[in-house]
Amino acid sequence: MPRVRKIFKQREFRTFLFLVLLFMVVGFINSDYLSLQNIDRSLKSSLLYIVLAVGMTFVLLTGNLDISVGGTLGLSAAVCGTILRDGGNIFLAVITAILIGAIIGLINGFGVIKLKISSFIMTLAILSITRVVQVIYTDGKWVENIPANFKELSNIDIFGINLLSFIVIVGVIFVQLYLSRSSKGRYYNAIGDNAGGAISLGIPVNRYIAYSFVISGICASLAGLIFVSQIGFVSTNAGAGIELTVIAACVLGGVSLIGGIGTVVGAGLGAIILTSINSALVFMKVPAFWNDTISGSLLIIIVVIDALLAFHANKKAKKLRLNARVL
Amino acid sequence: MLNKIPKWNLTLFVLIIAEMIVFGMINPRFWNVTILLNSFNDFIAISIIGFFVTLVVITGGIDISGVSIIGLTSVVTGLLSQVVGINIWGSILCAILIGGLCGLLNGVLIAYGRVQAMVITLGGMLLYSGIAIVLVGLSGVSTYEGISGFPEDFSSIANGEVMGIPHSVILFIIMFLIAYILLHRTKYGRYIYLTGINQNTADYSGINTKRIIASSYVLSGLSAGIAGVVLTSYLGSARADYGSEYLMPILTVVVLGGTLITGGKGGVVGTALASILLGFMQIGLQMAGVSTQYIGLATGVLLIVSVAFLGINPEFRLNMKRILTQKQHIGG
Repeated sequence: MPRVRKIFKQREFRTFLFLVLLFMVVGFINSDYLSLQNIDRSLKSSLLYIVLAVGMTFVLLTGNLDISVGGTLGLSAAVCGTILRDGGNIFLAVITAILIGAIIGLINGFGVIKLKISSFIMTLAILSITRVVQVIYTDGKWVENIPANFKELSNIDIFGINLLSFIVIVGVIFVQLYLSRSSKGRYYNAIGDNAGGAISLGIPVNRYIAYSFVISGICASLAGLIFVSQIGFVSTNAGAGIELTVIAACVLGGVSLIGGIGTVVGAGLGAIILTSINSALVFMKVPAFWNDTISGSLLIIIVVIDALLAFHANKKAKKLRLNARVL
Repeated sequence: MLNKIPKWNLTLFVLIIAEMIVFGMINPRFWNVTILLNSFNDFIAISIIGFFVTLVVITGGIDISGVSIIGLTSVVTGLLSQVVGINIWGSILCAILIGGLCGLLNGVLIAYGRVQAMVITLGGMLLYSGIAIVLVGLSGVSTYEGISGFPEDFSSIANGEVMGIPHSVILFIIMFLIAYILLHRTKYGRYIYLTGINQNTADYSGINTKRIIASSYVLSGLSAGIAGVVLTSYLGSARADYGSEYLMPILTVVVLGGTLITGGKGGVVGTALASILLGFMQIGLQMAGVSTQYIGLATGVLLIVSVAFLGINPEFRLNMKRILTQKQHIGG
């Protein structure tokens, strides 16, 4: 059973356990929470965050940070929304949105690699720029009247499971396999863990950092598409503040901000936890204004526990090494 | 004498002058001293927090929770004075102390819990704004209107003036002096720099780096508390969502001021100049008829350009120096 034990030791398993615990506790208070319908709905509302968290994980793994996802989401959602509203082709809208995400990712990557700006500052600046570009593009108005056939896309059910949820889950699993099983995928971890070592190994570090930003940008624009499809209109501040929620979700799922540690599955689970808290509060009949307090304290508690665990594990390992040397 | 002033601060100063000339030519009202001095009210919260976030950034950390401490202290001030009925000055003191307490929580967890500053202050940001919303929700005050009806004395904190100089300018100078003396004229300030340059070395040379780091977050929290009170006084009502848009400007001011985001280098003077630059730009653009929504574009571009090209980037600076010294060799 070493394989099973290995799974138990994984950080993601603890996140998953926490998620199950959350559902159990809330289900104990209000059994409606455990109904399949509600679980399906929770998953559906967290799709947006899962997709963003997947992209963010790539960037975080390389030891960088992408704050601009909210702006990318808003801009691509607005562009896609206007194309659809004016009777454009769905494929055209989707491809344009993805291109926008990729271009913004490229700009971020360019700034971080070539101009050597710290990723936090670069993406923060891009965030405010994209927000303004969105306002200029939409003329400060909301994008409404999006055709129903696009909105229907998020409601297609296959065998009782939402098609979009299914696609996202399969996608997350594939990305996870890519990151953990393929040699190219391991590069991201390697860069974040030790950039100098990665260069010595011959990994094209700069190129992969740029890839990570492009992937994050594309994920953000995909999230923008989901946003348009699920919500059906795009306000000028669509996705405002979402970047911090996504980073919080990644951290909850065990992705380290220093880089090199974390998995996409964990980040996705973190995203589900954060959105489940919202619905859990409703089912527990707690006023919605408790939401931020609970998410914030949860984030702090989990992170501090993680840090303490890591510190003690380090200490133990050091002791073992010392003993081995002495004996 | 001129050599002693860091070049970057000089550049910022020249930029401010250039900005004043340009905006003044677009709209001559910009040259009105009263308007300029009164415009301090619009960015004083940003600069007050910016001064002390500079200290945090120099130690190698980052504090983004200040933006929600503003809202929290604003709500606390309002609730204590208007709903509970404590004396307004007492409630201001309590509110600022609560800001310090929030900073203490951040600082202790970061310094003693060894967690990344970004994560803890992100959690703190959610937590403190959450507490502010909960307080408003529990007290049954209207979220949109906020808590108003403050006494005259309170609103004069931000809106009054002494000998023609608005209180906000005086407050700006006082907070600047406090931060300047702390950072540049005391042992504590040297310790902050040392901690940021190399925490291990600082530890070995007998500096209690954990206490230094934790205290810098407390200072940042206190300053956010003060900013919250000032903003409440300026706008006349207490609301939980004050300051929620200040994250970007605060970091812009700190980074534009020449402080390295990785720590160890920077100064309060740069932050002060950068906040004036940014504040005047906002006023100037508004006077020039640009909508407030578009100002983000200008600040974003300014941030990227300044960090990338204008010498904060050490590598760029090194290259520039090499080019310049070469020229001197040829010349001499």
